[in-house]
Parts: sequence; structure tokens; C-alpha cells
Amino acid sequence: MESLVEFLIQGVVLGGLYALFAVGLTLIFGVLNVINVAHGEFFAVGGYVLFAAVVLLHVPAPLGVAGAGVGAFLLGLAVYPLLIAPLNRRLGRRPAGSLYLVLTLGLSTFMQSSLLAIGGGDYRQVPPLVRGILEIGPTGVSYQRVLVLGVATLLLGALFAFLRWHRQGLAVRAVSQNPEAAQAMGIHLARIFSLTLALGVGLAGVGGALMAPLFNVYPAVGFPLTIKAFAITILGGMGNLAGALLASLMIGVAESLVVIVVPSQWQNGVAFLVMIAVLLFRPQGLLGRRAAR
Amino acid sequence: MSRPRVFASGAVAAALALPVLVPHPFVLSLATQAVIWALLASSWDLLSGYTGQISFGHAGFFALGAYTAAALSKHLALSPWLGLGLGAAVAALVGLGTGFPALRLRGHYLALVTLALAELIRLVAQNWLPVTGGPFGIYDFGSFTGLPAAGIARARVIYLVVAAIAAAGIGLMLYLCHATRAGRGFRAVREDEVLAESLGIDTTRYKLLAFGVSSGLAGLAGGLYAYYIQLVSPTVASAATTSLVIGMAVFGGLGTIWGPALGALLLFGINEGLRFVGVVYNLVAVGLVIMVFVIFLPRGLAGLRGRGGGRILRRDAAPTGAGGAAR
Repeated sequence: MESLVEFLIQGVVLGGLYALFAVGLTLIFGVLNVINVAHGEFFAVGGYVLFAAVVLLHVPAPLGVAGAGVGAFLLGLAVYPLLIAPLNRRLGRRPAGSLYLVLTLGLSTFMQSSLLAIGGGDYRQVPPLVRGILEIGPTGVSYQRVLVLGVATLLLGALFAFLRWHRQGLAVRAVSQNPEAAQAMGIHLARIFSLTLALGVGLAGVGGALMAPLFNVYPAVGFPLTIKAFAITILGGMGNLAGALLASLMIGVAESLVVIVVPSQWQNGVAFLVMIAVLLFRPQGLLGRRAAR
Repeated sequence: MSRPRVFASGAVAAALALPVLVPHPFVLSLATQAVIWALLASSWDLLSGYTGQISFGHAGFFALGAYTAAALSKHLALSPWLGLGLGAAVAALVGLGTGFPALRLRGHYLALVTLALAELIRLVAQNWLPVTGGPFGIYDFGSFTGLPAAGIARARVIYLVVAAIAAAGIGLMLYLCHATRAGRGFRAVREDEVLAESLGIDTTRYKLLAFGVSSGLAGLAGGLYAYYIQLVSPTVASAATTSLVIGMAVFGGLGTIWGPALGALLLFGINEGLRFVGVVYNLVAVGLVIMVFVIFLPRGLAGLRGRGGGRILRRDAAPTGAGGAAR
């Protein structure tokens, strides 16, 4: 029973991390119609920024986490004007199809190998940002995990509030609903596209920083997470933020609980099986609006 | 066969024979691996460039062929020549199995499902210890039999055999695309699936055909890789392999079959060349090649043919990678 509670808590923490990651991915897809294959590399960048700040420069941890978010955000600002806008210009009115996927796959390979070239292939260890264990009845959970969950909740709350009430947030939502109409209302499309991409990957950067003490940091640390986040966005319904949040928690908890029945090395298969099953039986996802084809 | 085509075939055969003249094991080893990648890259192109069904899982089919061949030879002492065929058959069957559900999926979704499939294959390879050897993979399962025992003579014969098999596979795909109805069917599926269906084209049949042939030949490439390298480990199924293959195809020119083969030969050469500069820079280059070519040269090297100055031919619309954009 204690172990069940422990697994459940671990699952919720994992779900919080997935949410931070998958909500950003979903936001980008909803607004730009781009599936960002390089999302995990921004997670890795976040981890490296934290490592550089805390271990090499001895900066206080909260500043390091903030720096990771800002670093990923700034890199993200460059993605739309440098990669996606030129492709759109060349295509004109023709559909991009899967070219965005291939393009961001190239970005992923480029970033991952650049990190390898700069930082080397070693696993970089980062000390916990906070120490100690929070006692919950008979079991406990480390403060590091509590921190992950807390920051994830805070940031996602801020993101939803931004989208709900802030002027720019409204513009983001308007563009996701109808880019042409939004443009006709005087919204600067390119600015919103850049901002959305940067916000999405900025969240991934913070996630990378928060998880660095638990995962270690290495160039390919984010890629498996990207594939898992695809499964989550499909489960939640492509482009559906609330769905992504719900699906993140479900996959996180399912992965933690499945260890009770099957050996833990198969844990990572859960998300992929769920993804294939969802696509076969409910392709619009849990909260999806229209049928995917 | 038209005269330019005879000429081109002759030139290709001559070029393929060239490495045999260089009696250096390193050159032969590079050339042998390069033609294996050429087969893999053009098999990806048949499904994704030519038919427009984007696969992010070709590393998985490649690994299936490699693991099937290696495991059969290791555990059942099967002849490599049979292993090659069975590896290709298993990959083709799994490819067809993916093709069926994929009939309902387009564009983004198909890419994501095939990516998940490859990741599942990697997971099985890593964890099914008795058969796949886990993280260390399978080794000591023998190589091609019936060839000269050792030395440069063996390297030469192996290169010729591998090159002949790869050329036959690529030739089969070119034949399918250019000399049979299937080629037009594939293109129709890529350009506008709904329109093709309304014109009475059996899109289901052509998609499944593309899936089966493409994954089968990817598996064949995997088998060749296994018997040549003599080690199969879970990393062959990693997304980096798929990324490299797509990079080769984009570099050479999507939707031409021969372009990706050429792109593979060149990119593999560049890749190995960059190893002398620094091991890590080759993948940086692959990433750059993918991005630059997708944005600026969608028809790849193949699109430069015939006109100078890097102009892109517009005889037909440049393939967008998937006819069925998520609509």
C-alpha cells in the first residue's frame, strides 16, 4: 500500500514534468501547425544552462533555473524567422505537409550534435536544487520532486492565465483559431509565431533545468521525451492544451504504476502502446474536437 | 531502354565497379557501407518521397532486418543468404502491418506512429535479452559464406556482392516507379489522395505496396549491414539512424529514388571524411544539410540536374513530402 502511494506520487511528479513539456509542444502545434521534433533539445539546453550556471559559475539555483528558461526562450525566438518563415516563403500557398517535421528533425540533429560538440558526451551531474525529503505519512518524496511539481503547476497556471487574459495571449489564441482573420484585425502574425515558439520551448528549457538533478544532463537527454510527448499530445488531442495536461498526468501515473506488473525497463513502452491504440481507436484523442485523418 | 538510360546504367555500373580497382581495405569498407546506406535511403524515398507517406521509422525496419538475420544465424546457424531474405521478409511483414492502420492516418500522424514503432523495436532489442543480447547486441554470428576466406580478395568480392544486391533493390524500385502502373499510382497518392480515389485508383493497394516494398528493402539493407559489420546493437534502431537516412534522401532529392541513393553515397563519404576533422561534427553537418535543403533546395541534388546555377526544375510541383497534409 505504501509503495502504491509512493508510485502514485512519483507518477504525478512525472506527469507534471510531461505537462510542462507537452503543453508547450501542443501550443506550438496549435498556433503554427508545426510539430516541433527539436522540442527535447531545448529541454537539453535548459539542463546545460543550469549545469553551467550552478556547477561552473556557482550562481544561485533559482537564477540558474530562470536562466535556463530565458536561454531556451531566446533560442526559440530565432527558430521562426530563421527556419520556418523562409520555408513558408518558398512554399507560397502550397501546403507544407510533413516538411516541418523534416525541418525540425534537422534542427534536432543539429542542436543535439552541437551540444555534443560543445559540452562533450559525458553525463553531467547537477546537485539537487533543494535537499531533504518531505514526509507524507509512511512514505516520503524528495523536495526536488516537490519543486518540480510546484514550479510546473505555477508556470502552467501562468501560461493559461496569460492566454486567457493578457493582450498578447489573446492574440496567440486568435491566431490559433484563424490566422487570416487575426491578421485582418491587425495582429502581427510573425511576431505571434515567434513568441509562441519561444514560449513553448522556454517551458521545455525550465523543465530541463528542473529535471537536471534527477536525469543528469547529456546531449540526447531530451529526445526520448519528445517522442513521449508526441504520444501525450495525440492522447490529449492534437492542439488541445487541456487535453495535453490531462494526458500528461495520465501517462505519468500509468508509467509509474505499470512497474508493479512488468519489469521497469519496459516502462517506456507504455506511452508508445497508448499512442498506437489511441490512433487506431480514437484518433481525435481524449478531448479532441474533430476527427483526425 | 532509351539511349540516355543505357548510358546512365553503364555509368552507374562503372562507378560501382571503381572501388574494386583500389586495393585498400579502408576504401572498400567505406564503399560497402555506403551502398548499404544508398539502398536504405532510396527505400525510404519510395515510401516517403515518392508515395508521400512520411515514415520516421525506417531505423526500425532496418533494425528488424538486421536483428532477424543476426539472431537466426546466431541461434539457428542459418546461412547468411537465407538470413538476408528472411530479414527482409520480416521487415516487409511488419511494414505491411503498419501499413494497414496507416491507411487511416496521414501526414503528421503517420510520422509519429512510425517513430513510436521504431522506438518500440529499439525497446524490444534492448530488453529481450535471450534473443537480442540486450544493450550489447548480437555478435559472433558469422558473415557471408562461400566467399574467399580472407584478405583483400574477400573484401572485394563482398563489396561486389553487396553492391549488386543494393543495385538490384534500387533497380527494382526504379522499375516499379517508372515502368509499371504502380509508379503512377504512387504519385497519384502523393499528389492528391482524395482525387486519386475519386478517379478510381485503388489507393489502398498502392499504399500497401509502397509500405511492403519499402520496409522489405530497408530490412534487406539491415541484413546486409548485419553480415557486413558483424555486430547488431540497439543503436541501429535509434532515431539518429532515421535522421541520417532522411538527411541523405533530402540531400539527394526527394521523390526520385536515385537521388537519395546518390545523396547517401555522397553524405556517407562526407560523414566519414569529417571524422578526421572531429567525430562530432559529422552529425552537425547532417542537421545543417537537412535544414538548408528542406528550405532552399527541396529537390536536392537531383533538382540541379540539367540547369546551372542551382535553379530548381519545375517540371512538376516539387514534392512537399506528403500529399496528405493534415487537412
